[in-house]
Amino acid sequence: MTEEKESLTGRQWLVDKVDNSIKEGQTTIPAIENGICQRCGSSCWARLPSGFLYCRACVGLGRLDEGKLLVRQTAGSHYPARAGMTWTGQLQERQEGVSRFLLEKFAAKEDCLVEAVTGAGKTEMIFPLLAEAFSRGCRVAIATPRIDVVNELYPRLVAAFGEVEIGKYHGREEKEAANEQLVICTTHQLLKYYQAFDLLIIDEIDSFPYAGNPQLHFAAGNAVKKTGSRVFLTATPPEDLLKAARQGKLAIVRLNRRFHGYTLPVPRLDLYVKPFLTKGRLHPKLARRIKMAAKSGHPLLVFLPRIAQMPQYFAAVKRLLPDLRLATVYAQDPDRLEKVEKFRKGDLDLLLTTTILERGVTFKHVWVIIVAADDEIYSAASLVQIAGRVGRDKQDPDGLVLFGYRRYSRQIRSAVKQIKEMNRV
Amino acid sequence: MSLCLFCDQPFTGDLDMRRLLLPGKSKTSCLCPSCRQQFAQIGPAFCPQCGRQQDSGEICQDCQKWRRIYQGNFLHNQAVYCYNQAFHDLMVRYKRYGDYLLCQVLQELAAPAVQKLAADYYVPVPTSPEHRKKRGYDTVWEIFTPLLPLTPLLAKKAGAGAQGEKGKKARMQAKQNFFLNPEFRGTITGKIILLDDIYTTGRTLYHARDAIETAFPKCQVESFSISR
Repeated sequence: MTEEKESLTGRQWLVDKVDNSIKEGQTTIPAIENGICQRCGSSCWARLPSGFLYCRACVGLGRLDEGKLLVRQTAGSHYPARAGMTWTGQLQERQEGVSRFLLEKFAAKEDCLVEAVTGAGKTEMIFPLLAEAFSRGCRVAIATPRIDVVNELYPRLVAAFGEVEIGKYHGREEKEAANEQLVICTTHQLLKYYQAFDLLIIDEIDSFPYAGNPQLHFAAGNAVKKTGSRVFLTATPPEDLLKAARQGKLAIVRLNRRFHGYTLPVPRLDLYVKPFLTKGRLHPKLARRIKMAAKSGHPLLVFLPRIAQMPQYFAAVKRLLPDLRLATVYAQDPDRLEKVEKFRKGDLDLLLTTTILERGVTFKHVWVIIVAADDEIYSAASLVQIAGRVGRDKQDPDGLVLFGYRRYSRQIRSAVKQIKEMNRV
Repeated sequence: MSLCLFCDQPFTGDLDMRRLLLPGKSKTSCLCPSCRQQFAQIGPAFCPQCGRQQDSGEICQDCQKWRRIYQGNFLHNQAVYCYNQAFHDLMVRYKRYGDYLLCQVLQELAAPAVQKLAADYYVPVPTSPEHRKKRGYDTVWEIFTPLLPLTPLLAKKAGAGAQGEKGKKARMQAKQNFFLNPEFRGTITGKIILLDDIYTTGRTLYHARDAIETAFPKCQVESFSISR
């Protein structure tokens, strides 16, 4: 990684010790101090043949060796102080309440957690907060663990803040880094920043790979200015944040109703005794369900627990409904982004997917079927999130959520219970 | 309990009688069972000349081309693993990112086959000086050095560019970049096995062999690559 980054404010990058062309406004520190990687916070133990330590945890960003230096460019403050908002929509009363709460906490420089059901309109609720930050000339980042969520957020924010410079960054985006006032990126990209942002919003805080990843938590702490604050958004908050909230260390605000006021669709449970797929044929009941859903004219997401099974399911569904336009998608799929875009536009009727599309994405009128909802890969949070893809439109607030299972798992029970509880409030 | 070097997840190794009776004698694996499973061994049928996995035991198209180019003087290569997604990821991390520790994974994968090799000299295919400097190690040397007595017979010219970054056509048109290591004195006879990580087009290994055969015409040269 050799980038010419002298003008990149709030960024950090590696140089060899010999290269000491350090400019004004830059500070340097040893890349590894006391065995701790200063970029990702991991303790380093692996050694090169030279005997020097290096960090394995963030090696994908360019290997950080003992003896190298981390150069940090001081954050700039040259952003225009104007709201820049071109969004003219109206927040609904409940959303308004959350939005006011966020503005108060931002003024008080406090971190806060927003627990809002799927489809509550989290993105819109942060618009007034963003406008307030921009009008003070602040720099903001919206980070999320998922590439698909970055891709979904970007156009919405471009539309809502037509007068603000916005940059989109993730591992599959070939883009030179610049100094946009608003950065929308994956949580991995935060490793490249140091005290850069006045406000850092992390969406889908409980999802993989951010959840349980100490490097990314370290980065999320480092990327925000000492005077800045953070907002965490999710429908299914992780236990550590809930605990911090209970102890009064973190402000929390809840929203238990979708923006359109309707309740969440409750999953329909579907017990199977025999396997979902035998000898290339779908279980007759599953076949009926898929056929029924496809005939309804709704786009259909079918969640499968294993990538390895996808070709077999693809062939089986193709055989069942030869005229249906279908595709498979998973994290390493090279055409992943194009396929999701086609599905969004209605150029595909059915998408066989892994949990990559479990959250943060909106497809109009979509219905979902989870095959093997009892698989260990699905946590209760995943199941709640998947169910939350359905009925997000005002015109179409209900729809099919089907959990196909062979063993009634604790996760299924917990997910259904959570959804019903949220509907009761 | 140990940590898998490939996926960083903790795992417990298989318990067998040998490990129960002779604790400390058997080495623990650096790969968890589910990662190990992703690496596919070549077989049962493969090309007898280059070791490529295929449906029949016939000589593959590429090898027939090599026979034409070299008028029958082909190179016999032995390979152990298919070049699949897992192997690709492993090589990206070991070579492009420079995650040195992964040489232990490659050693573990290669060891059973390497221990069966029999030759007078084992010659690793060298890395170019600029790559060596950038990574801080010689990729092929580091894999094989604990497994076999190596002879540094060859060196690579600077500024040649990496084969891995080229397409097939550009690889085949690559020029001879190997030369005899100037620090090496004396003469060599007998059987030599060239060692490399991946056999892709064969261009690299054929060039390495040519460099040795020109200097020591009496040698018999074969090759071994972990992946094909």
